[in-house]
Amino acid sequence: MQQRTPLKFNNKPLAGDQLVIIASFALVIVLFQQFWSFEHASKLKIRQGSKIVGTYDLDQTRELHIHGELGDSHIIINQGKVRFKQSSCNNQYCVHQGWLSLAGQVAICLPNQISLQLVGAKSTYDSLNY
Amino acid sequence: MRLLLIFTFVFLSGCNKPEPLYNTQSYIFGTLVDISIYGESEARAQAISDQIIRNFQDLHSRLHAWQPSELKAINQAFALGKTPVSIAPDIAAMINEATKLSMQSKGAFNPSIGGLIAAWGFHYDEFKPVKIDENKIKNLVTANPKMTDIVIEENKIYSNNPAVQLDFGGYAKGYALDIALKYLREQGVKHALVNIGGNIIALGKHGKQPWRVGIQHPRKPSAIATLDLDSGWAIGTSGDYQRYFKLHEKRYCHIINPATGYPVQGIQAVTVLIPPQMNAGTLSDVTSKPIFIAQPTTRAEAAKAMHVENFLVIESTDRILVSKALAKRMTWLDKDAATHATEIQ
Repeated sequence: MQQRTPLKFNNKPLAGDQLVIIASFALVIVLFQQFWSFEHASKLKIRQGSKIVGTYDLDQTRELHIHGELGDSHIIINQGKVRFKQSSCNNQYCVHQGWLSLAGQVAICLPNQISLQLVGAKSTYDSLNY
Repeated sequence: MRLLLIFTFVFLSGCNKPEPLYNTQSYIFGTLVDISIYGESEARAQAISDQIIRNFQDLHSRLHAWQPSELKAINQAFALGKTPVSIAPDIAAMINEATKLSMQSKGAFNPSIGGLIAAWGFHYDEFKPVKIDENKIKNLVTANPKMTDIVIEENKIYSNNPAVQLDFGGYAKGYALDIALKYLREQGVKHALVNIGGNIIALGKHGKQPWRVGIQHPRKPSAIATLDLDSGWAIGTSGDYQRYFKLHEKRYCHIINPATGYPVQGIQAVTVLIPPQMNAGTLSDVTSKPIFIAQPTTRAEAAKAMHVENFLVIESTDRILVSKALAKRMTWLDKDAATHATEIQ
């Protein structure tokens, strides 16, 4: 049992104060888990075949030409988002995917064996079922 | 107070420690293979992944439907009439299992319609819209190829119907997941996640958390929902968005109804979640097909016939059906989809 003392600075926090601190801390953790999952990606990982071509900052404007199995894939990074602009494949599924901006999003050009994967501080999921 | 500070530091320092997670990607079975191994040294994880990849490449080259392979040789013998040829025991076992599943689905899952799949132009790595040959399709359907036409006797195989052309496109990826899981367990790996073209099987956990997978939205470049894939569980999706072509604004997907000979229309995706069992991977690949091919009114029945309790059917962006069992396990990411989802069964 803590003895009630007159209000003084440099005092140990009382049970109630500790409870408030712990509760706020718990709230921060809960909110962190709740909202971080929908976060915007900060980085882009590009792979060709089994090799990682590079990891790029998403907050920039940049055009990349990655050489794949069939030819070049033209990739555009534009301030927080990325897309296949053109690719040397028949069906252009990768181009039709459009812009990606959220952590965990993936675009793949299977014929050219190039994948774009968006990475955030915390991934929403480990792998994608499609 | 000091304790709280220590706790804070421990919590924050956790962010900097690299995870013992090894991840590798490669292109096999005409699709992307992604292997994650948790809790092993990098060298060991790499050696094990490399072996799994070699096993997949071997299986792919043996089962290739349109390049010289063991399967192609069998198909060529089938076309000649009752000409018995030798068959490897593992491929014989695969054919027997596929026959059993085909009968269970009342022929909706039918890997003997390779002729139809070729007629629709899907027997190319890079296929193009085909000129639809109605007569050819009609003849292929009338020829009625089915798995029960196949006879396997003492390491020899033949077909009573020359129209039977095996195509394991809806089976091999799932089967490969089972092979990978078996190998991982034999090697004493405790935690891994293997993804072959979207079909995924889990072993153990990702650290303290279960492995979490996203389910792709069939019309958006993002996940529609997530779920935890516990150890031994497998998930698979049949969709109209991975292999398809468009002709006169109409979409023709690679999933063909054996009864009509035409690509299935009016459905975007079927996802199934399979509990741990000997062939969970195979079932995650196979059992989505009968549900995809079924009429809108008979989908639940098709799922039941395949003993699938956990399934998600996306007919269109505003018509989504989810089984009660799966709804409990899923977390929607796409709010619009969540509002259009109806629970069934």
